[in-house]
Amino acid sequence: MSRQPMNPIVRRRQITNAIALVLATGATLFGLLWLVWILWTTVTQGASALSPALFTQMTPPPGEEGGLLNAFYGSAVMILLAIVVGTPIGILAGTYLSEFGKTSVLAETIRFINDILLSAPSIVVGLFIYELVVTTTGHFSGYAGGLALGMILLPVVVRTTDEALRLIPNQLREAGLALGLPQWKVVGYVIYRSASTGIATGVLLGVARISGETAPLLFTALNNQYWSTDLSAPMANVPVVIFQYAMSPYDSWHALAWAGAFVVTAFVLALSIAVRLFLRPRSFK
Amino acid sequence: MSALITDRPAQTGSQDLAQRPTKVSVRNLEFFYGKTRALHGVNFDVPANAITALIGPSGCGKSTLLRTFNRMFELYPEQKATGEIQLDGENILASNYSLANLRARIGMVFQKPTPFAMSIFENVAFPLRHYEKLSKAEMQERVEIALTQAALWNEVKDKLDRSALALSGGQQQRLCIARTLAVRPEVVLLDEPTSALDPQSTARIEEFVLEQARNFTFVIVTHNLQQAARIADQTAFMLNGDLVEVGPHEQMFIHPHDPRTRDYVTGRFG
Repeated sequence: MSRQPMNPIVRRRQITNAIALVLATGATLFGLLWLVWILWTTVTQGASALSPALFTQMTPPPGEEGGLLNAFYGSAVMILLAIVVGTPIGILAGTYLSEFGKTSVLAETIRFINDILLSAPSIVVGLFIYELVVTTTGHFSGYAGGLALGMILLPVVVRTTDEALRLIPNQLREAGLALGLPQWKVVGYVIYRSASTGIATGVLLGVARISGETAPLLFTALNNQYWSTDLSAPMANVPVVIFQYAMSPYDSWHALAWAGAFVVTAFVLALSIAVRLFLRPRSFK
Repeated sequence: MSALITDRPAQTGSQDLAQRPTKVSVRNLEFFYGKTRALHGVNFDVPANAITALIGPSGCGKSTLLRTFNRMFELYPEQKATGEIQLDGENILASNYSLANLRARIGMVFQKPTPFAMSIFENVAFPLRHYEKLSKAEMQERVEIALTQAALWNEVKDKLDRSALALSGGQQQRLCIARTLAVRPEVVLLDEPTSALDPQSTARIEEFVLEQARNFTFVIVTHNLQQAARIADQTAFMLNGDLVEVGPHEQMFIHPHDPRTRDYVTGRFG
């Protein structure tokens, strides 16, 4: 039996469909290629440089063996400082926008400025804190580094808190208010509970973002070759160490830079997976 | 004339209804969404310890009317009400009438169940704690009473510490009712409380309303004519922002005075 002659319109649509599918798939693969390449290089180069010494020894002078312990510590402390500074202010500001300011001129202006801050180059934030803290105190410090990271975390938390809260149906607010509860109680005890996963997701994604930031730390925390827990002094940190060591001519420093890049990448990946696994947004029916 | 009519022995006769004291009295109530007038001078009385149903086609203003009773509309700056709503003779729309006091006296249950993301127990205890300082035993007793009144106690008494979000839709709605009852309001507003529920859950909520009608004053908005016919002592029919007719069961469903009411209850439109 011969095939039915194909309707020309159907045929044209099928061809258009096939072309669109090929283009879309090609674009996806092209994007993924670079991502996989970067990841692959980081993993192969970084994994071979991994050793126990990485987590037990300090950054070495050129030509000697060493690790990144001081840099890991410094990064951890400054990220913690950034969370302490950025999260409460960010959540409160996001709460103001969603629950109190709503669509008022002030709230929309704050949202606009926050969006600019969100997309501001991080080096600008670094320079700002440099002017604000480093030049006034006269020296680089861990405080300045943590503050710079906090400034980058802040708009992320403001935005995600605002959005997570606005996802909560108005009926829940009305239900709380209809019971005669004051608004602060409704927000603090009812709305936050329902939005907690969304807010936590925002904070964690913000932490993932700042853990690899180099530019804001260059002018603020600088770096420190030795073990230092003094936040008012220059502080070692992973991104700046990677930056310096990768630019150096020494092979041992290159290896440490790769190892640092690998650990930071693994940390961000683990954080993202944790967000997906544990903080899956619960639907509110 | 109508298949809607169901015999309900407990249903109050018109004479009985007229003898009841008025709990809420609506006088010349107008309501605005921005510049749009949604209520055109509504006047009617809600008798105490009875069930008043508001019926009418979508958009007729029945939910709007209900939401003025606890000034819920004030949440939205562009909405405004003029006229008077008297609760035991006091105008609750007066700006000096305390909102907290009003909402303690007039509770509200919404169309969609709105459990808080807390345990079943806390859903009832949390608002209660706002009003009264109770010992642990007293609190447990009050929560049990409220859950029993809402016909939910037997289903949840063994899992009070579980999340309220895990309950079924009908159970969640009864939990919201219990939460509202726990603070002992005088008037309970029900905004289409069963429209999101299956027939069985609907029946349980109707039973609850009938059972508790001597303890509270109910005002229920419903799309469901049969529901109004089954439970209401007094029914108010609204159309395009006007209150067309209000009266007891037999007037509204058997001998309506207004032809528009007759058309609506016989299913001619709506």
